[in-house]
Amino acid sequence: MQKKKNIGAKIIVIVVIAYLLLPLLMTLIYSLFKEWIDVVPTGFTFAAYAELLADPAFWQSVLRTVIISVIPIALCTVFVLLAMYVVVLYHPEWDRFMQVLCTIPYAIQGVILPICVLSLYTGAPEPLNNRMVMLVATYMVVILPYVYQGIRNNIAGVGAGRLIEAAQMLGASKLYAFFRVVIPNIMSGVTVSVMLAMAIVFGDFVIINTLAGGHFMTAQMYMYDVMKKSGQRTCAVIIILFVVTLLISGFAFVLQSKQGKKKTK
Amino acid sequence: MAYIEFKDIDKFYGKNHVLRGINLEIEQGDFVTLLGPSGCGKSTLLRCLAGLEQTSGGKIILDGEDITQKDPKDRNIGMVFQQYSLFPNMTVKENLAFGLKLQKLPANEIEKRVKDSIEMVELMGKENEYPSNLSGGQQQRVALARGIVMRPKVLLLDEPLSAIDAKLRKSLQTSIREIHKELGLTSVFVTHDQDEAMVMSDVIHLFHDGIIEQSGNPVNIYTKPATPFAAGFIGNYNILNRADMKKLTGKDWDGDIAIRPETLILSREQISSGESYKMQGEILDRVPRGNVLRYKVRTNGVEVYVDVLFRSASMYEIGDTAFMALADHNCVRL
Ligand SMILES: Nc1ncnc2c1ncn2[C@@H]1O[C@H](COP(=O)(O)OP(=O)(O)OP(=O)(O)O)[C@@H](O)[C@H]1O
Ligand SMILES: [Mg+2]
Repeated sequence: MQKKKNIGAKIIVIVVIAYLLLPLLMTLIYSLFKEWIDVVPTGFTFAAYAELLADPAFWQSVLRTVIISVIPIALCTVFVLLAMYVVVLYHPEWDRFMQVLCTIPYAIQGVILPICVLSLYTGAPEPLNNRMVMLVATYMVVILPYVYQGIRNNIAGVGAGRLIEAAQMLGASKLYAFFRVVIPNIMSGVTVSVMLAMAIVFGDFVIINTLAGGHFMTAQMYMYDVMKKSGQRTCAVIIILFVVTLLISGFAFVLQSKQGKKKTK
Repeated sequence: MAYIEFKDIDKFYGKNHVLRGINLEIEQGDFVTLLGPSGCGKSTLLRCLAGLEQTSGGKIILDGEDITQKDPKDRNIGMVFQQYSLFPNMTVKENLAFGLKLQKLPANEIEKRVKDSIEMVELMGKENEYPSNLSGGQQQRVALARGIVMRPKVLLLDEPLSAIDAKLRKSLQTSIREIHKELGLTSVFVTHDQDEAMVMSDVIHLFHDGIIEQSGNPVNIYTKPATPFAAGFIGNYNILNRADMKKLTGKDWDGDIAIRPETLILSREQISSGESYKMQGEILDRVPRGNVLRYKVRTNGVEVYVDVLFRSASMYEIGDTAFMALADHNCVRL
């Protein structure tokens, strides 16, 4: 009985995984073959990849995308952690206010946000009118609800207040307790919300196109350009971007688990 | 001078006056219990002593030093919380070593102290487990070990056993008592369970609505409640007003009287011994409570509870008539 159930569960998991991976697999195949006659692709080639990798514009755009996603996420996470430090330790009554404040960005989605930013800041003095600064700041606002909610839930989940009190009774300051006891305990949860934020930023086209379009190129825009020229190269871009995201996530997870291990050594 | 002194401690939460001018002295080496119903301010007083809560007024002296404004980390007080509050990402050993490392003690000293504490709470072999792999009772033992590993001046325990089942609770009560004695600690224990307070304490302070109703050793508190609240909270006293006492004894009284149920005597025959007051009553109800039977008896229109040792051979049935007697010295004036 138990075994049967297990097999059933496994089948479902495999089917779901296959369903999710199929488009990616097809993209990969499409990027590796010249032609698609009937049902069989022919003419295996790395040409699309070779062209892309040789194109400095492509690398620059990917690098830009990585920078404008990593910086706002890192900054946003640090700011939220600092804000939560104050809320948890000194002003628990501000929690509700924080929650409302951090949920507002949900309401201003889509094209409204970048257009407002543009019309507000194009005439502003340096560095506010810098497109890169605008982008980073706008992304920080966009991912704020996700980062905040993730961190808040984890802080509540580990009972941060009680842990800090226990640490204080053992001779730790509040600051030390927050950074050495609470943060290591919420790290895995924070990593998840960081990944979510990463996915949101990588998937954005509207904001980046409105704010940066015509000024510099990012991976999304590069892809959009390529799409008009060659389907095969588009697929190659997608695969490379996927690998880059995978590497970044993998890196984050390794960092997090290393930290976890160090704490337990 | 006492080891710990609370002087006119007031505490407000907004308009809620939670501690109303507490004056309390605790002697070094005593096991002191703050006993009282839920919400009376026991935890608040304990947290003021720990420094986790600021007092609104008054002074706290520990070992001759005014600690009212001191940070919790500088008070050298250990605390065991109701919800254990162990660090989930650290093993048992690391939980215990946390504070010692902060004090920058040499590694071999840390090792030794951790080992001693683990032995004291009998958790040998669990050193490298994470808290989530331990039972509730084991986790509370770790919390206890973590409280004593720092060799604090005072050990505070805020209802540490209330989430633990009855049997384990008894054994942990004994462990805590033994460790207290062995280390010569000064301990302040909070509970709302009068039996637990009786078993563990040298001194009990009975709390009610932010004031201390009565202080004393367990026998004193049990046999001589000073107020109606104390009598009601401890030992299931019968509390009778003047009119009822007149009906019961046929004599005039000058105030409320508390009578412990086990001091009333029930008998099938006329009682001839020298008890001061004798009467006759009807059994209204009968409830077994462990090794005693509690009867509800009506005599002369007054209902009282009477506890009798549980012997099935001499049980009264509901509706039976019984003779009853009461000694004058068992009528406690409130
Ligand atoms: N942080 C707080 N903010 C506002 N009011 C509080 C706070 N902590 C406690 N109180 C109030 O103070 C009063 C005393 O609380 P306290 O926790 O000291 O009670 P207690 O005697 O420990 O009760 P229990 O046995 O239920 O733990 C309660 O009325 C409670 O509502
Ligand atoms: Mg309490």
